Amino acid sequence: MRISFAKLLLLIAFFIVILVEARTVFAFFGIDVSLIGIAVTGVLVISALVLWAIRPGNDEPTEP
Amino acid sequence: MAKSQVTRKITHDEFDPVGTLALIVLYFIVLMLMWVFTYFVEFVGNDPTPFVVA
Amino acid sequence: MTQLFVERFPDQARLVRLAFFNSFAAFGIGALFGLIQALHRTDVLRIVESPTYYTVLTAHGVFLVITFTIFFLVGLYQWAVTTSLERRPVDMRITKAWYWLMSIGTVIAGITILAGFLDDPPEVLGSQLSADVLFTFYAPLQGNPLFYVGLVLFVVGTWLAGVDWFRTWWAWKGDNPGARIPLPTFMVLTTMIMWYISSIGVAVAILAFILPWSLGLIDSLNPTLTRTLFWYFGHPVVYFWLLPAYLLWYIVLPKLSGGRLFSDPLARVVFILFILLSTPVGIHHQYLDPGIAEGFKYIVMTNTMFLLLPSLLTAFTVVASMEHGARQRGGEGYFGWLDALPWRNPAFTGMALAGLVFAFGGFTGIVNAGMNINYLVHNSAWVPGHIHTQVGTAVALTFMAGSYWLIPQLTGNRLVWRQAALVQVLLWFIGIVFMTNSMYRAGLVGVPRRTAEPQYAFEYDVGVGSMTELDFQLALGGFLLFISAMLFLAIIFMTWRNSESEPIVDGTIPPALSGPEDSPRVLDNLRLWIAIALVLVAIAYVIPLASIVTRGGLFGPDIGPFPVFTDPMILLEYGSKLIGMVVI
Repeated sequence: MRISFAKLLLLIAFFIVILVEARTVFAFFGIDVSLIGIAVTGVLVISALVLWAIRPGNDEPTEP
Repeated sequence: MAKSQVTRKITHDEFDPVGTLALIVLYFIVLMLMWVFTYFVEFVGNDPTPFVVA
Repeated sequence: MTQLFVERFPDQARLVRLAFFNSFAAFGIGALFGLIQALHRTDVLRIVESPTYYTVLTAHGVFLVITFTIFFLVGLYQWAVTTSLERRPVDMRITKAWYWLMSIGTVIAGITILAGFLDDPPEVLGSQLSADVLFTFYAPLQGNPLFYVGLVLFVVGTWLAGVDWFRTWWAWKGDNPGARIPLPTFMVLTTMIMWYISSIGVAVAILAFILPWSLGLIDSLNPTLTRTLFWYFGHPVVYFWLLPAYLLWYIVLPKLSGGRLFSDPLARVVFILFILLSTPVGIHHQYLDPGIAEGFKYIVMTNTMFLLLPSLLTAFTVVASMEHGARQRGGEGYFGWLDALPWRNPAFTGMALAGLVFAFGGFTGIVNAGMNINYLVHNSAWVPGHIHTQVGTAVALTFMAGSYWLIPQLTGNRLVWRQAALVQVLLWFIGIVFMTNSMYRAGLVGVPRRTAEPQYAFEYDVGVGSMTELDFQLALGGFLLFISAMLFLAIIFMTWRNSESEPIVDGTIPPALSGPEDSPRVLDNLRLWIAIALVLVAIAYVIPLASIVTRGGLFGPDIGPFPVFTDPMILLEYGSKLIGMVVI
């Protein structure tokens, strides 16, 4: 784990919030993101985050 | 929490809350943008009340 | 590690537990009604008929913003006074008396509301047992007299609680002449002063007008007058919900962060500002009311904008205290210190997220406070969006997070399922963003609040996505919040029963970086602040109230109650009268 489980959960929560709000902000600038589009982006971003988080860091080969 | 893992003691005189300043500046920028947003949504985005002759 | 609260003051811990029990029981019921509403309004699932929606809505409001919040407040304040003054109440009988008065009041009002679910509610005191009057129970909506009797008992209970805390402080002052009031007690006393000044309004509204009217003793009343008296209390009551959360942010959050409160004097100034400013602003809830001159509304708007000051001071002080903790834990940089905060502690994370939501929800409050923009959002779903970010998260999430820290000290049991507790607070955060984002956006396109049928028959011009999508988002948010609420109750219940354990919690509160000795003593001169507050209230209210009474009469221009009992015949009669009037 590069970051603690708690921080991973927190980051996921923040990403979900940012995705929900970002869609409204984008639409303000005339960029309409479809519901499916934002959902797919969300799943991709969060999976990437999880994969990054659970890979062992360079300087910490074992559990923290 | 039982242990707060405090590694050093910082007294009143040594403490310079620059991080707080950074966060508050960020917050004010967001607030400003939200006001701009409100201007467009509420005023530019709404037509005047329709003129109805009864 | 010092002794736990429950070991030092077993009888006080028991009382706080009882208060929290009432609070959480109401929270569970209120949360269920919230879910029913979210699903009903959005037409996802309808388990009640639309007329019954208003019973659900009233129960949701009253159980959450009156019972849940205020019982938590009295529990928390009992803890705060006892622990900061290190002494028990002067007379425990008074303590028990206020607890029971509040409980009995709640039961009476609660039964009256819930009787609205019956097909044929029994007749009590001359009218049907029902009170579908919403949390803002002003005329022309009329409930059964018992509803108001319950409310009066409850409020009198809170007054008595205040007397109890003042007496404890007076006794302490006798033993410690010249000493500064400890900060937690200072917060309790200032909150109660604000509460005494403001709850007079609702007491007069109920005792002089609404209760006699519902009993049939007087035939009519002046709706503008009772509305104005309600909002005289209705804005300060939001600070009655918020100030216990502030107490937790100022007293407990710095400790959880691993640091110390940045400034004790600033905290005192903030609470004094609330005594001064929270009452002379109530008319800002009535920007759309006819019968109150624009000029008065303008004065109130100015006062309201000044109210941003204590909240911005709080943002600074609380964040600086968290940063102090983070830096003591080895945090570095402009933003890097955030990483050093104890995010795995659900008590900390819950309070920090509550503060964050409060900061952004505060913006929507500025929109509400501005007279011109208020007109655009006033009766729309925007307003429940605002109340759910502020009371529903800043306050409720702080209370839940605070419970994770307090309950082990009150029971002597270890908190169970700490990871689940973390998930719970995060789930609340996500749920509230889904739900309120949808409410704000729906409000901006004109979707009304306080109705079971927000769609009526027309299509809203939703800027982004579609109405279906907004509805779905609201329902999803409401569902997540409900799951989170149930998870919270399960964790608390299991902790309560987890008696075969030793808690890992340290109840000591470190002293502030800048202590009370750095502030002028005038801050502790409560009489002075009361006097100034009363002058401000007089400036803001005497002339408007006088003009309302002159214009509409003390008992009003003969306004009959609107039929709240949804008897189809009455509605039909009323409807035909209305149509008749329009045609004529």
